[in-house]
Amino acid sequence: MAEQQSLKTSAAPHDTDTSEYLVQVENLQKYFPVQSGFLAGLLNHGEIPAVKAVDGISFGIRKGEVFGLAGESGSGKSTVGRLILHLLEPTAGRVIFDGIDLGTLQPEEMRKMRARMQIIFQDPMAALNPRMTIGEAIDNPVRIHLSGDSAKRRHVVNEILQKVGLAPAEQFYDKYPHQISGGQRQRVVIARALVTVPELVVADEPIAMADVSVRALLLELMMRLKEELNLTYLFITHDLATAKYVCDRIAVMYLGKLCEVGPLSDVYEDSGHPYTRALLEAVPVPDPRHRRKESMPAGEIPSAINPPSGCRFHPRCPMAQANCSVDEPELRELRPGHFIACHYAEKLLK
Amino acid sequence: MPDDILYSIRNLTVEYQTRAGVVKAVDDISLDIRRGEILGLVGESGCGKSTLGKALMRLHTGPARNSGGQLLFDGRDLMKLSEEEMPDIRGAEIGMVFQDPMTSLNPVQRIIDHLTETIHTHEPGTSDAAARTRAEELVEKLGIRHERLDEYPHQMSGGMRQRVMISLALALRAKLVIADEPTTSLDVIVEAKFLDLLKELQKEFGLTILLITHNIGVVAEVADRVAVMYAAKMVEVGDVRDVFANPKHPYTQGLLKSVPNIQLDGSELYKMEGAPPNLLHPPKGCRFNPRCPQVMDICRIQEPAFEAVERDQLALCWLYQNAPASAEVHNG
Amino acid sequence: MTAIQEQPPEISAEAESWEDELQKVGLVRRIFQARRWYGADWWFVMISTLMVVGFVVIALFPNWFAPYAPDALVGPRFLAPNEHPDLPIIIVPKDSPFNTLKDLAVPEGQPRPQVAVVQGVPTGSALNEQAQVIDEQVKNEPGGLRLRPQIDRYASDEEALQAILDGKDEAAVIQSTEWKTISTHFPTLREAQSITGGTANAGGFILGTNDIGQDVLSRLLWGTRIAILIGFSSSIVALLLGVPLGLFAGFVGGAFDRLVSLVMDSLYAFPGLILAIAITAVLGPSIFNVIVAIAVLYIPTYYRIVRGQTLSVKEEVYVEAARSIGARRMEILQKYIFPNVIPSVAIIFSVNIADAILTGAGLSFLGLGLPPTIADWGIDLARGQRFIQTAWWMITFPGLAILLVVLAFSMMGEGLTEIFNPKLRER
Repeated sequence: MAEQQSLKTSAAPHDTDTSEYLVQVENLQKYFPVQSGFLAGLLNHGEIPAVKAVDGISFGIRKGEVFGLAGESGSGKSTVGRLILHLLEPTAGRVIFDGIDLGTLQPEEMRKMRARMQIIFQDPMAALNPRMTIGEAIDNPVRIHLSGDSAKRRHVVNEILQKVGLAPAEQFYDKYPHQISGGQRQRVVIARALVTVPELVVADEPIAMADVSVRALLLELMMRLKEELNLTYLFITHDLATAKYVCDRIAVMYLGKLCEVGPLSDVYEDSGHPYTRALLEAVPVPDPRHRRKESMPAGEIPSAINPPSGCRFHPRCPMAQANCSVDEPELRELRPGHFIACHYAEKLLK
Repeated sequence: MPDDILYSIRNLTVEYQTRAGVVKAVDDISLDIRRGEILGLVGESGCGKSTLGKALMRLHTGPARNSGGQLLFDGRDLMKLSEEEMPDIRGAEIGMVFQDPMTSLNPVQRIIDHLTETIHTHEPGTSDAAARTRAEELVEKLGIRHERLDEYPHQMSGGMRQRVMISLALALRAKLVIADEPTTSLDVIVEAKFLDLLKELQKEFGLTILLITHNIGVVAEVADRVAVMYAAKMVEVGDVRDVFANPKHPYTQGLLKSVPNIQLDGSELYKMEGAPPNLLHPPKGCRFNPRCPQVMDICRIQEPAFEAVERDQLALCWLYQNAPASAEVHNG
Repeated sequence: MTAIQEQPPEISAEAESWEDELQKVGLVRRIFQARRWYGADWWFVMISTLMVVGFVVIALFPNWFAPYAPDALVGPRFLAPNEHPDLPIIIVPKDSPFNTLKDLAVPEGQPRPQVAVVQGVPTGSALNEQAQVIDEQVKNEPGGLRLRPQIDRYASDEEALQAILDGKDEAAVIQSTEWKTISTHFPTLREAQSITGGTANAGGFILGTNDIGQDVLSRLLWGTRIAILIGFSSSIVALLLGVPLGLFAGFVGGAFDRLVSLVMDSLYAFPGLILAIAITAVLGPSIFNVIVAIAVLYIPTYYRIVRGQTLSVKEEVYVEAARSIGARRMEILQKYIFPNVIPSVAIIFSVNIADAILTGAGLSFLGLGLPPTIADWGIDLARGQRFIQTAWWMITFPGLAILLVVLAFSMMGEGLTEIFNPKLRER
C-alpha cells in the first residue's frame, strides 16, 4: 500500500494530491442542541448544551476501497455517515465529494447528486415503506434520476433484483416488505441503494440485524457487487470481527473524535491507541481455547454533552499521564498511512 | 436426580396458539443444567431459545403454554406446581435477566427500591435497614457504587442496568439465573466486563447461569458447556471445548464456520444456504435436512434421536446413529 | 446497539403461507378468508358493516321502504304502534259488490240505499258528512249518480248487522274496533273499506302516528336520509379540510404549524354542541348550514390526528431513505407519509360520522339548524318529548334509530381498527 501523502487534521485539500480520494472530510463537526430557544441559553450561562456527536474529524475515502468506520455507541459513526451523504448539515467543516464541496450545492443540485451516493440502512424493516411494493421502492430512484419509460425501468429493476439474489424478479416485484424474510428485505435495501450505480455507498451496520447464518451471504453479496459495479464503501460498524473480513482501511472513533486510522492489518495487529487495543481485545473470540485475559478499561463511555477535557479517553485509559487531561492529541502519522491520536502511541507500537 | 444436576428438563414442549394453527416453539427438548456451570444456549432467531428460557420459569401467558414434559428443578417438578406457587420460585430460586434493560426496570422506582422490594416480597421478615445493607453489599460486588442506588433507571447506562438486573436475582440468593441475550444491546467493552462479572459470580457465589444468546463468541468466552438449538429442537449439547473443536451436528459445524473470528486471517466466511423452516409445517424427518450438506435418505423420512455421540457430547443426527432397518431406507 | 428480537417463531414463516393465499383472491373473498384470522372481531366488522350498509340503502331509497310520505297525514293522531284506528267502516255481506261508500251511489230516481248505524254514536253524523262530500262529487260527474243514503238507526251493533242479514239494509257502518269484537258472530259479513276510503287494517301503523297524524315509521325512514346526509357530508368536508392542513403542518412545521395549531386548538377547546349552536344561530336554519357547522366542529379532530401521525412518520427511517434516494418533498409527502397516515383517518372517519349524526340530531332537537318541515329524528325527538307519557312511541323510536345508527358506525370504526392496524404488517 504505497502512501503518497499524509492526512493531517488541518490539511487543506489543495496542498495534497487528492485525485484518488472520492470523499474528503475536513474538520467535520455536528452538534445537536439539547434544548432550543433562547431560554436554554439563559439557563446555561449563554452556552446551549449540545450533544457533540462529531467534534472535528478529517479523513479521506479512496476510490474503490472499503473504508471501515468503527466505534461503540455514542462514537458518532452513524452521524458521520449521514453527514457525508448530506442527510444532515454539518455544524462546521466540509464534506468534499469528487472535488465538490457538498455544502455549496443548491438543494436541487444536491438532490441530483444523490444518484451518486447511496446508503444501506441497518434495519431493513424500518428502511422500507410498508405501503410500497418492493418493485416500486426500487423503481423510485430509477424514476427520479434516470430517464426511460416504464418498460425500460422495469427491466433495470428486475436486473438489480436478480443481481442481489431475489430471483425470479417478477415474483418479488409486487410483494410488500412484510411478505418476505429479513434477509430478503436487506437485499431489497441493497438493491435500492445500488440501482443507480452510485459511486459511494455508505453501509450503516448493514448486517447487524440479520441472522448469523445470513450475514456471510449478505457480506459476500455486497463485496461481489462492489467489484462488479466499481463501488466505494464506507462501512460503518461496531463489529470489529466482521470488519476484518471486508475493510481495506479502518478508522476508529471515540466520542466524536478519531483515535486511529490506517490499513486494516496495521491497525489490528499493531494498534497504537489504547482504546483501539481495548476494543480489539474485547471482541469475543469464538474459540474457547483463546479466552480473553486482558482486563478492560474502567468506567463507561461518558456523556457526549460534556466530554472529558484533553484526550477524551483519558479517564479510562490505563496509560494516561498528566498532560492527557489537558492537551488533545492530534492524529499523527507514525507509520506509513497509519495515523494515531495519542500522546504515547509510540509505547504501544511495535 | 444426581446431585450435580440443578435443573433437569425432560421432553419439554411449548406450544404457541397462532391464528394459523398450533406451533411448537420448543419441541420435545431434554437438557440438564449442572450446578455451578455456565451453560450457553445458542441458536438463531426463531429457534426457540428465548421461549425455552421463559418456559423454565413458566413465564408464558396468553397464546403460549408449556404443554408437555417435566421441569425437575432441584428435586421438584415445576410443571406440577400451581400458578399460585410459582411466584415463590421466580426471583427467589430462579432469576431472570432480560435483553432490554431499558424496559425491564420500573422507571418510576429508584434502584434501591427495586432491590428492597424484591427482598421484602420474598423474605417479609427483613427489616428495612437490613434489606438496604444487603442491597448495598451486593451492588458493590457488582461494581456499582452504592451512592448510585438512589438513582432512577434512566440515569444509568445500559451496562449498569444489566448489573442491577443481576443484583435483583442475586439479592434473593437465587440458585439459577437465566440470562436472555443480556449483552446484545451493550457495547463490546461493556459486554466484555459483564461477561467477566458473570464468571466472577459463578466462582464466588456458586451461581448457575443459563446464558441464552445468538452470539457464538460470547458462549466461547464464558460458557462451560454449550447447547445448540435449531427449529425448536436441541441439536447438540456438550462441553464447550469439545463442541467447538469437534462439532458433531452439521448445523453446528456450519454455524461455527460462519462466525467471524477476529484472530484469524480474514479468509472466506462460510455461507449457509437456505433458511430455518416454517415451524407450522416443519420438514419431515430431521428438520435440518433441506440445508444439510451431509444429508442422507433416512434424514428425510424419520427424526433421529438425541443421543450421545461421545461421552458427554450429544447430537440429534443420523450420522451417529444406526438407522432402523426397513425396506424404504437406503443409507447413502 | 443492535437488538436481535426473539419473535414467536411462526410469524415470519407464516407470513408467506396465508399472505400468499390472500393475495390471490379478490377483495370480497379476502374479507371472508381473513375470517380465519380475525375470529370474533370479524363478526364485529361484518355486523356493523351490514347495519351501516342497511342504513345507507334506506337513506338513499327511503321511498322503497316507507309506506307513506313523511309529512302526509295518514291517520288519526296518537295512534299507538299497531293499534288499529277506530274508523267507521262499511260492513257488507260477503257476496256484496260494494266496497266503498261511493259504490252505494245510485242514479237519480232509483231507490236510495239503506244503511244501518248504531244510535247515539257519532258514526251516523260522520256517515252523513262523508256522504254529502261524495254526493257533491258524484252529482257533477257524468252518470248522474247521487249518494243520499237512508240511515236506519238501531240500538246496538249486533242489531245493525242483523239488519243486513234480515235484508232490511244493504250495508252497515260501525266503528272498526267494534267490528273486531263481534265479527266472529257474523261469518257471512265482511269488512269493506272505511267511509273515508282505505281499509282500517291497512295502516296498522307499525310504529304508530304522531301528534298530527303522520306515520312515525315513514318519518323515521325518511329521517335516515337527513341523518346520513348530514353525517357523511359534514365528515367529508371536515376530512377534506383537516387532513391536508394536518399533513402540511406536521411536515413543514414552523410558523404555519404554530399558527394553524393555535386556531385548531381553540376550536377544539369549545364544547362541540355549543359551537354548533352558535354557528347555526348565526347562519340560520338550513341543511347546508348544519353541515357547515358540524364540519367546522370536526376539522380540528382530523387535523390533530393527522398532524400527530405525520410528525411520527416523518421520523421513520424509510422517510430518511426517501430523502437519500433524492425524492422531492412533495413526493415524500404523497408516497411515503400520506399512505402511512391515512389508515388512522379511515378509522376516525367512521366514528366521526356517528358523532356528527348525534350532533345533528342534537341541533335539531334544540330547534336549531333544520327548518321544522323536514322529517328529522331530532325534530321528532323534540316533538315527542311533550307526549312522553301518553304517546311514548313518538320519542322512543327516533331515539332508538339514533342509537342504532351511531352504534353501527362506531362499531364499524372499531372493527376497521383491526383491519388497518399494523397487526397485519408483521415485523
